[in-house]
Amino acid sequence: MKETTDTVDTGKIRTTLNKNKAQISLSLKLCVHCTLCAESCFLYMHREKDPVYMPSHKFINSLGRLYKKKGNIDRKGLEEIREVVWDRCVLCTRCYCPMGIDIPGMIALTRGICRDQGVLPQFDEE
Amino acid sequence: MISLDLFHDFVRGPLALSAFLIFFTGTAYQVLRFFYLSQKIKKTTHNPFRLSPTTAVCAPPVKSTARRISFFKGTIAGVHPVMTVITSLFHTCLIAAPLFLLGHNNLIDESWGISFFSLPEGITDIMTVMVIGCSLFFLFRRIFSPRVRSITTLSDYLILLLTAMPFITGFLAFHQTTAYKPMIILHMLSGEIMLILLPFTKLVHMLFFFINRFLIPHENSFGRGTRTWYFGGPKFSFKRWYFGKKKFDIDNW
Ligand code: SF4
Ligand code: SF4
Repeated sequence: MKETTDTVDTGKIRTTLNKNKAQISLSLKLCVHCTLCAESCFLYMHREKDPVYMPSHKFINSLGRLYKKKGNIDRKGLEEIREVVWDRCVLCTRCYCPMGIDIPGMIALTRGICRDQGVLPQFDEE
Repeated sequence: MISLDLFHDFVRGPLALSAFLIFFTGTAYQVLRFFYLSQKIKKTTHNPFRLSPTTAVCAPPVKSTARRISFFKGTIAGVHPVMTVITSLFHTCLIAAPLFLLGHNNLIDESWGISFFSLPEGITDIMTVMVIGCSLFFLFRRIFSPRVRSITTLSDYLILLLTAMPFITGFLAFHQTTAYKPMIILHMLSGEIMLILLPFTKLVHMLFFFINRFLIPHENSFGRGTRTWYFGGPKFSFKRWYFGKKKFDIDNW
């Protein structure tokens, strides 16, 4: 397995967030927390309708969390986010939102941020 | 201590004017910012989700009744019929009731000598009650539905209150159940606060619902989208827009 350091380069996260700031802040603002997107995600439907599988729940708790903290996150936080963006979403891009928010785009961006920090899905665990 | 009359005049005069000004400038700013941060799609851009260039992106490929029904079942209206009806009612009444209210139109007539078409008072009254009723539905949904609760924040309640306040106070003032003067001041004040905050809070979905669904192509767009976000593009600054050469780059707009 690839060696990972225990530090997080928050500056780099902040750069990525700033680059996409307009879209991220607008998406977070546009999400009116209506949960109409829930049924469009097959993972939500097949995991006993657990709210943590709702598309909005996923992007609010991954990219939304990074954005609100302005990138200041520790490794443990990033590992929680890794679980959200890899284990709870497969990026099938089938989710719909009445506001037209690009949820898979947001999750893909978060995956990129995690990869930058060497936080990757771990297939040898579980 | 300022008198109620003086405060009434302030809320009705300068504050109302500034609220409308802030609302229109804020809206214009948001639209401008969107056009700056997005660009026209080049004709050659491949969009894997667009099945046919002439139909909406996700239209049923073969036109038969069975297909149409199964297509409808997959849409938001098919999955959430109750919510769709309630939210459509809510938003229609929310915009139509204040716009076509006789009292509002009389005020406009008094001030500027023009007047819109007004609906009978009985109808706008029912619409107001409907807005309040739908707000209550949204409130109970937020409180009692676990999935909605899981992503609800305090701001959601505040926004809901902000939206319902002008209708509740307007209803009470119209029926004169309580003291008229304080109620009408509250009514104007809450309406003005709503207008001022509209372009800058979650309420901006009034604008971006249409922008996102009509101008940006994706699976759920209603029309043929023609623009896309500049991912990682420049930050918006009014100065740069006004003095930069991009303003004159008509092709990009
Ligand atoms: S449907 Fe859209 S606006 Fe509603 S909760 Fe999901 S992401 Fe947010
Ligand atoms: S992209 Fe992710 S959130 Fe959207 S439907 Fe697929 S698994 Fe669910």
